[in-house]
Amino acid sequence: MNPPLLSARLLRQLEQLELSAQRRSRSAGKGERRSRARGQSVEFADHRNYVAGDDLRYLDWNLYGRLERLFVKLYEEERELPVQIFLDASESMRFGTPTKFELARQVAAAIGYVALCGFDRVSVRVFPDPESPGSPAGPVVGEAAVRGGLRGIRGKRMAPTFLERMTQVSPGGTAVFNEALRRAALQVRQPGLAMVLSDLLDPAGYEDGLEALIGRGFHVHVIQVLAPEELNPATFGDLRLVDSENGAEEDVTFGKFRLKAYRRIVDLYTQKLREYCRGRGIGFYRTTSDASLEGLLLKELRMEGVLG
Amino acid sequence: MNLLAPLAAWFALTIPVIVLFYLLKRRRVVLRVPSTVLWQRYLAETQASAPFQKLRKNWLLLLQILLLIFAVFALMRPYLGSQSAPSSLRVLILDASASMQSTDEEPSRFEAAKHEARRWIDGLRPGQMMVLLQAGPRTDVRQSATSDKPLLREALAGCQVTDGAARMGEALRMAESLIRDVADAEIHLFSDGSVGSLAEFENHNLPLIYHRVGQRRNNVALTSLEVRPNPENPQQRAVFVGVANLSPAAVETTVELEFDRDMVDTRPVTIPPGESASLVFVVSQNRDGIFRARHTAPDDLSADNQATVMSLLPPPVKVLLVTRGNRFLERALRLAGHCEVTVGSDNTQVDGKWDVVVLDDVVPTAWPSANVIAVRVAETNWFERTGTLRAPAIVDWRSTHPLLRFVSLDNVAIAEAVGVKPPPWGNVLIEAPQGPLLVAGEIGRHRVVWIGFDLLGGTWPLRVSFPIFIANAVDWLNPTLVRAERLNIRAGDPLRYELPEAASTVEVKPPGGDWERVTLDAGAREAVYGATDRQGAYELRWGTNQVTFAVRALDLAESDSTPRAEIPVGRFGGTAATSVKQVNLEIWRWLAGAALAILMVEWWYFHRRTA
Repeated sequence: MNPPLLSARLLRQLEQLELSAQRRSRSAGKGERRSRARGQSVEFADHRNYVAGDDLRYLDWNLYGRLERLFVKLYEEERELPVQIFLDASESMRFGTPTKFELARQVAAAIGYVALCGFDRVSVRVFPDPESPGSPAGPVVGEAAVRGGLRGIRGKRMAPTFLERMTQVSPGGTAVFNEALRRAALQVRQPGLAMVLSDLLDPAGYEDGLEALIGRGFHVHVIQVLAPEELNPATFGDLRLVDSENGAEEDVTFGKFRLKAYRRIVDLYTQKLREYCRGRGIGFYRTTSDASLEGLLLKELRMEGVLG
Repeated sequence: MNLLAPLAAWFALTIPVIVLFYLLKRRRVVLRVPSTVLWQRYLAETQASAPFQKLRKNWLLLLQILLLIFAVFALMRPYLGSQSAPSSLRVLILDASASMQSTDEEPSRFEAAKHEARRWIDGLRPGQMMVLLQAGPRTDVRQSATSDKPLLREALAGCQVTDGAARMGEALRMAESLIRDVADAEIHLFSDGSVGSLAEFENHNLPLIYHRVGQRRNNVALTSLEVRPNPENPQQRAVFVGVANLSPAAVETTVELEFDRDMVDTRPVTIPPGESASLVFVVSQNRDGIFRARHTAPDDLSADNQATVMSLLPPPVKVLLVTRGNRFLERALRLAGHCEVTVGSDNTQVDGKWDVVVLDDVVPTAWPSANVIAVRVAETNWFERTGTLRAPAIVDWRSTHPLLRFVSLDNVAIAEAVGVKPPPWGNVLIEAPQGPLLVAGEIGRHRVVWIGFDLLGGTWPLRVSFPIFIANAVDWLNPTLVRAERLNIRAGDPLRYELPEAASTVEVKPPGGDWERVTLDAGAREAVYGATDRQGAYELRWGTNQVTFAVRALDLAESDSTPRAEIPVGRFGGTAATSVKQVNLEIWRWLAGAALAILMVEWWYFHRRTA
């Protein structure tokens, strides 16, 4: 039995929160989110002319008394918010102490838990796909079932199952970030909230995948998780750097005097990413794998407006 | 620029070796990282922002090649060309006379000359030889012909300036003999030009190059110090001090006189430029001792600011006059002062304890052991008679000799003289066309004055010059004064002293030094000590006996420390000061220094990259 992913205390605090959706839900399922659909709730939305067959209970008799015409009162339908959580489980997420994947999984579990508490439908999409080609050191056998079981979960009573399954996910393989996001954008029936948890260090870039999500109508939040040694490398000298995912080699001569130049490059990269996201209405947040989970969830993501 | 060791260029073959090392893969530490995306950006960024991207990777290689180029260049020993022609043998003569102590150069003329000589030694090329001579009162060969620079430098460093006068003629003769068979030889003289007269030197087109040191003349010198009996009171001593002002401005100074370290008298004196002053101190002296005079004016040359003289208290001179009757001579002897004259008529008393024996027309059976004035004595073992000179005319006399000081023989007529051959032991002081009339010299340890004519057979005793001559002769023959003369020597001359009995060792104490033991030859009766380069009082002791010597630096030619632009060599020739200065300046030291600097930059750069 793995240790619990989230402590009981944190779970209680998470129950006080909810995911803030800036758009009305387009989901078909009933839920607790306002939507454009008209249906049954207490929120009045509009009137329309009565046509034969309408439920007489919704006739507005006051209007009939004034205008001698029949109108039906329409109410807002409250729908669920489909929450898609994209969890990067590639080889590169194994780095850092604790690993980047560890933090990303905890954040994913916490957001999923908040969504479940809010009667939203939660799907955690872990990529890379264990069956996808190009992942020789793929995840353990049986992982596919676990990952399948993380789709379309709804209701607070499913939370223990959800958390249990989350602990069973393990990282490995080469992530194809854009491909994973594009495929998900095609697969989902209803767009909703998309949470992307990744280090965003794919050589092919991140733009195509994010644009596919935006184009499908998702409201996207990106949380970039980096390892501390990626921000402040501590190994100096004549180095041959080997990419953990694709095995690419890079000869670098690195010293303390060049640390500043490297940091500037990293900051520039993040800055570009942040500007890209802002231009498309994507929420962006960067954290490191050794950051405090409580601080991140209860403070910083609330300030960013991800949680409310 | 030329190269001393061009073959060292072969070391440049090591440059490809370094390049080869760089072509071999550098050993890198393999590090697994999450992703190389950021590193690719980092490399692209840092390389794009730097000029010479391709070279940048190999800064260390460039530095190492540069370092090697400098090192190889240093090994090739480049030097800056000089104006001097190549010469296979150079004789360096370093003037070590007293005037080289002048401080108008920094720190002194001698050190400046050594510095200049050092540059010539540094510029010595392989295959060329050099000889180092030091010209002081003696000429020392400090280093015989060699190409070994360290040896030459060591010899040069060992050269010491003296208080004596330079005998430059001797040094030039030695240098001339050294270069006799070498066609392209050169003689380099490092001097201030105060070298005395070289008119006697036979100049056979000597390849002499004169490097002048010294900038100005500013010197006040004691040029003479003598102690004599006071003519007015023989109980007192008159100390004559000559002070010369050899600087371009008038000088006010004080002359101090000490006797055995007790201040006796001081006297202020003002001397116009280029002139000299004579001072006479009349003092009483009750024992043998040393008079020391000094002046207090600050000047460039301190060696001649003081002088010492050993003064012996002379007892009365005991004179035996053997004559058949010569009142002029007897009177003159009694007037000579400080004499106890005994007159005898035959030569039976000659063997007594006399200081001076005067033989007037008397042939002795044996020469007396005292100093002798022999008048008209011929046909002895000392003289070979050739005949008789009738009315010889005096054609020349040497007025510089102490015997003929202040003596004028202008109106002296002589009736007849004994004709002799000039003897080998003596100097002819008065000459007639037919032969010598007066001879003075030393035989063994005795001084002899020989007069070839009968004094009464001429006009000389009637002239003023006669008593002066007799007084001079008594002084010259006075054994105490002779001894005093031996105790006062010039700097650089050997100190000689006759010991009463044979001794194997004596001890000498130079001024300001410690006792030095001097070993003598077995059975030697004379102590000889040569290292009298410094002026002052030297003490000599053997057993319980002790004598004091005074070594003086007084020499007007040395004291006149004006740097000469030209040295006259020989009767007609001369050598002007040369301007050839810069000689084969080797620059490998700077190259090696630059290589070291590059090495340090490389070290710093290496650590900056990978620290």
